[in-house]
Amino acid sequence: MELLRSLTIGQYVPRASPVHRLDPRTKVLATTALLVVVFLARDFAGLGLFALFLGACLLLAQIPLGFVLRGLRPIWFLLVLTLLLQVFFGGTSEGTVLWRLGPFAATREGLVQGLFVTARLVLLVVATSLLTFTTSPVELADGMERLLAPFRRVGVPAHELAMMMTIALRFIPTLVEETEKIMKAQMARGADLDTGGLVRRARALVPILVPLFVSAFRRADELALAMEARCYRGGEGRTRMKQLRYRRSDALAAAVVLAASFAVLLPGRFRW
Amino acid sequence: MSATDPVVVCQGLTHVYLRGTPFEAVALRGVDLVVGRGECVGVAGPTGSGKSTLVQHFNGLLRPTEGSVWVDGVRLDGRGETVREIRRRVGMVFQYPEHQLFEETVFEDVAFGPRNLGLDPEEVGERVRESLRWVGLDPDRFGPRSPFSLSGGEMRRVAIAGVLAMRPRVLVLDEPTAGLDPRGRQEILEHVRQWRRQQGLTVVLVSHSMDDVARLCDRVVVLHRGQVFLDAPTREAFAQADRLRSVGLDVPRVTDVLLRLRAGGLPVRTDCLTVEEACEEIVRALRAGGSAWSSSEA
Repeated sequence: MELLRSLTIGQYVPRASPVHRLDPRTKVLATTALLVVVFLARDFAGLGLFALFLGACLLLAQIPLGFVLRGLRPIWFLLVLTLLLQVFFGGTSEGTVLWRLGPFAATREGLVQGLFVTARLVLLVVATSLLTFTTSPVELADGMERLLAPFRRVGVPAHELAMMMTIALRFIPTLVEETEKIMKAQMARGADLDTGGLVRRARALVPILVPLFVSAFRRADELALAMEARCYRGGEGRTRMKQLRYRRSDALAAAVVLAASFAVLLPGRFRW
Repeated sequence: MSATDPVVVCQGLTHVYLRGTPFEAVALRGVDLVVGRGECVGVAGPTGSGKSTLVQHFNGLLRPTEGSVWVDGVRLDGRGETVREIRRRVGMVFQYPEHQLFEETVFEDVAFGPRNLGLDPEEVGERVRESLRWVGLDPDRFGPRSPFSLSGGEMRRVAIAGVLAMRPRVLVLDEPTAGLDPRGRQEILEHVRQWRRQQGLTVVLVSHSMDDVARLCDRVVVLHRGQVFLDAPTREAFAQADRLRSVGLDVPRVTDVLLRLRAGGLPVRTDCLTVEEACEEIVRALRAGGSAWSSSEA
């Protein structure tokens, strides 16, 4: 039952750290840059440096490592699959054969390649969760809105997108809680959710999905009413209580991320 | 009371949500509790005191982090078969149970539980009709209707019928009267009292409302910050108004009135639970020492 709650991917961890205090725009841009860097990194040394940098950021942000690793749990299957596929098919056919399984051969090159790709995936996920761990959904949406604002002229509905994102993020925990409650209620009435074949299991979801949709629509209705009751009418001329402001620390953070990116991307022979 | 025949026993029950994460929260710490057969126990406590967490252990929806829970002498350890049997014996009505309705008709929805028990259609139909009658809904009139076309109070009663159709021996009700008007409240409580009498049900009532608890329960267990703060027969519990108020709880309105009268100088007993009882007591007190009281008022 705690399965739903243990999804730590994308969860905000409130702390009073320097990373949390950064402007969300800085963090969104920095994360984007880091994602590009992960894909451009060419060697293990580069990925290693990247991992060290992420580790330092996590330390600074006071996010425990165990919590980060827990966030990887939902994708462990993907990771293992990637590793296996690469080990068996990633190397060239004339690579050094380490081990044979029927017609498939695991090559040394494949293993190296597999470890590299898997490490890249892990770092990708950790880098993205660093953003969501340290930035509350509202800040995140604010930051996105401001970053998208220049594109309004070409028809990007920046405010509406941000508002939709805020609302969606805001309601994830609510819906998770609701799902948990409905599951428990139906289990208390003898519903069996985890045995039987595929069809049976799919059918067993009906008593959970119907009430969930009903309540989601009810909540949407209530929210729309509450927003209108407070005179919400879109983004035009809307002011905000919390203004985003770039500070010196943002410039510093940008510089550090930039430096780290160069260090990761530099070819090995220039690095040391 | 039936301490000799316990139905639900908790020993050193501790529950920690999300252990090992920054969101770790201790909901229960070392709760010892025995519910005797046929008893009606009120579980009260301020918001976040662990009431709902506690009762969800009674039918294996939550597993103890530490300590143990026995139901009918069987220890709940989370294994499939025992849990299935326990869920049949311990019926659980959640807060706002009307949110769990999903079928196209009232009949089908109430039939969900009995069907999961694997009963034959005839038995299912019999139970559905009986359960609907127990909650005061005419099965012929309400059976074919969509549950979503009913009023809030009716929906709640259909949801409760869905639990009763499992024929539980222990009924756990989590805030069954929340959000109902006084009449709906009164009806639900009256129904609970009847089932208890007719079927010898053991009832656990989780409630904020001390009025509900006073009206229905023999015994009150007050939780505070995940621990048992008070466990006493209803009369004794409400006699300790100051202790209850110290954790942000109220006393029943009846008790409140009597306490005020007493503070104003009228020597009444303050352990009455119903309005009728209180009336008699006030009349008695007025007759006995009333002259002195009215003169001091004048």
